[in-house]
Amino acid sequence: MPTPKTESDAETTTSPQPGIGSKLLNNQLTTIILILFLMIILLGSFTRTFLTANNIFNVLRAFSWIAIASFGQSMVIIGGGIDLSSGSTMAFAGIMTAMMLSYGLGVLVSILIGLGFGVFIGFINGILVSQAKLPPFIATLGMLSILRGFCYGLTSGWPIRDLPRGFLFLGQTDLAFYIWKVPLPALIMVFFVIISYIYLSKTKGGYHIYAVGGNEYAASLAGIDAKRVKYVIYSLSGLFAAVGGILMTSRLGVAAPTAAQGYELDIIAAAVIGGISLNGGEGNVWGALVGAAIMQILRNALVLVGFPAYWQSSAIGAVIISAVMIDQYRKRRI
Amino acid sequence: MKMKKCVLCCVVLVFTLSLLFPAISVAANKYVFAWIPKALNNPVFELGRSGALQKAKELTEQTEDTVEVLYVASVNSDAAEQVRVIEDVISKGVDGIGVSCNDPTALKDVIDKAIEAGIPVMTWDSDSPESKRFTYLGVSNYEGGKAAADLLIKAMGTSGEVAILTGVPGAFNLEERIRGFKDGIQDYPDIKVVTTVACDDDINKGVQVVEEVMQANPDLNGWFFVGLWPLFAERGSMPLWEAAAKAGTLKTIAFDTLPVELELLKDGYLSGLVGQKYWGWGYDTIQMLYDYIVNNKRYESWTDSGMDIVTIKNVDAMIEAWETQDFTKPLPPAF
Repeated sequence: MPTPKTESDAETTTSPQPGIGSKLLNNQLTTIILILFLMIILLGSFTRTFLTANNIFNVLRAFSWIAIASFGQSMVIIGGGIDLSSGSTMAFAGIMTAMMLSYGLGVLVSILIGLGFGVFIGFINGILVSQAKLPPFIATLGMLSILRGFCYGLTSGWPIRDLPRGFLFLGQTDLAFYIWKVPLPALIMVFFVIISYIYLSKTKGGYHIYAVGGNEYAASLAGIDAKRVKYVIYSLSGLFAAVGGILMTSRLGVAAPTAAQGYELDIIAAAVIGGISLNGGEGNVWGALVGAAIMQILRNALVLVGFPAYWQSSAIGAVIISAVMIDQYRKRRI
Repeated sequence: MKMKKCVLCCVVLVFTLSLLFPAISVAANKYVFAWIPKALNNPVFELGRSGALQKAKELTEQTEDTVEVLYVASVNSDAAEQVRVIEDVISKGVDGIGVSCNDPTALKDVIDKAIEAGIPVMTWDSDSPESKRFTYLGVSNYEGGKAAADLLIKAMGTSGEVAILTGVPGAFNLEERIRGFKDGIQDYPDIKVVTTVACDDDINKGVQVVEEVMQANPDLNGWFFVGLWPLFAERGSMPLWEAAAKAGTLKTIAFDTLPVELELLKDGYLSGLVGQKYWGWGYDTIQMLYDYIVNNKRYESWTDSGMDIVTIKNVDAMIEAWETQDFTKPLPPAF
C-alpha cells in the first residue's frame, strides 16, 4: 500500500501546480504522508493483524467510496465552495440504482441512471449557488435534507435488497495481482484519483477551478466564466458521490435509506486533512486520498487494538485536529 | 298558501333533524387514535402501522363503532420534532394517542398536556415513565438481553470468547440489552467478552467493524448483535464472519426478527434471534386505547408485550407470519 503514495508524491513534485505555491503544497502533502507512515509503522508493530494483506485491502476497500466522493468534494472546496449534500447523494444514487435494478433494468443502464442522478443533483446545487446566489453551505445543506427525504419517501424506510449478482460484482470482486487480491473498489479509487489529478492540474478547466477558488473577482476579470466553473465542480462532486454510493451499495448488496448518513463530514474532513484549504484555491486530490486513508486506518486501528467503542469518536476527533495542526505548524514555519 | 309553506317548513325541519341525529350518534362512536412512532425512516414501524390499521379494521367490523388510525411522525428520530407532532395532534383533536417516545423527559410535558386536554395517552416500544400516560406497552430490553445470553449459552456452551456489536453508544434500549446480556453470562466465568464495538446504526460501518473484530480475534466463539445492522448487507460482504459461522465455530445471536435474519438463521449463520412484536405495537395499542376509552378498562403501569424467541425449531412459523402478514398466531416453542 505505501508504494503508490510515494509514487504519487514524486509525481506531484515533478509537476508543479500552475498558479499556486507548488513548494508549499508539496510540503503539505509530505507532512500528512509522514503522518500516515507513522501510523502504519506504529500499528504494524503494535498489532499482529494490521499489516496483513487481508486487513490492508479491507481498509482500502472501506475508504474507497469516501475517498472517491472526497475527490469531487475537493474540486468544490478548491473552487471556493462546499458540498454538504455528498453523503445524501451517495445514498440517493445507491437507491436509484437499486430501484432500477429491481425494476429489471440492466446493470449498466441502472448504474448510468444512478450516476445521471448524481450529476443532476450536483447541477442543481450549481444553479442554486451560481444563479440563485445562495451561500454553498445553505444550498447544499438544503439539498442534503431534500435528498434524504427522497430516500425515505421512495423506499418507505425499507432497505432495497436482493440485487442481481452482476451488480454485486463491482463492489465484491477482488482482482488477483501476483499474490494479492486487490478489491475492485480500491482500483476504481486509484483510477479516479489519477483522472481527477490530471483534470485539476493539467487542463485549462482545472486551472480555472483554482483561479475561481483563489479569487473569483480576479478570475472573472481574467475572462473566466465563474458560473460555468461552479456548474462543473458541483456536477462533478455529485457524480463522484454517486460513484461512491453505487460502489458502497454494490459492496453491501443493499441500498438503505439511512446509508451514508453523516458521511459528508468524513468526506470534507478527508479533504481538509489532506491539505485542501477551506478558503479555496489550494490543495490537491492526492491529499484527499491520504486524508481518507488516515481516517479509515484510524478507525480500523481502534477496533484492532480493542479501544473502547465509547471513546472512539473522541480519538478520531483528536487525530483530525492534530493532523491539521501539525500541517498548519509546518506551513507557518516555511 | 301560507299553510302549505308551513307544512313544507316542518317537513324540511324533520327531514334535516332525522338526517342530523344519526350523524351525531355516529360521530359519537367514531374514534380517531393517533399512532405515533419514533420516526418514519425505520421500517419496523411500518409493520406496527399495518398492525394498527388491521386492528382498526377489525374493531370497525366487529363493533358498532368506527375506529380510525392517524399515522403521523417526524422523519428522523428527533424528540423536539415529535413534541411538535403531538402538539399538532392535540389541536387537531383525537380520541387517544399511542406514542413511542424518542426521549422520556422531552416528551413528558406534551404527554401531560394531551391528558389535560382530555386525550388519553399510552406509550409503546419506548416509554416516558414520569408522564401521566396510562400504561406502557413494551418489552424489557434488559430481559431481552438476558434471553439473548441464554440463547448464546445454549448454542455455544458455557465457555468461549464473545464480542458485542452495538449501534449508537449510549442509546438507552441498546445499553439495557447489553446490561441484560452481561448479567446473563456472568454466572459463567469462562465466557469472556473480548470487545464491544459500535457501528452508529450504519450498515456499512457494521460490516466493517465485524470483519475487523474477526481479524483481531480469529478464535472468536460468539457474537451478540444488539441490532441487525450488518445483517442487512448481502452475503459475501462479511467473508470472515460467514466462514466462521458456516464452520460452526462461531455462534451469533441477534436482536430483531426481520425476514433477512430469518433467512440467515435458516441457513445456519445465526443461532438465535430475540425480537420485539412490532406488529403488536400497533395491533395491541389500538385495542388497548379502545378498551380504555370505551370499556373503561384500566391497566398496570407496564404492560408486557412479550418477546419472540426464534431458533431453527420455530423459524418456519415466523417466516410464514411475515409472508402472510398475520402475526396473531403464537409462535411454537423455540426449544
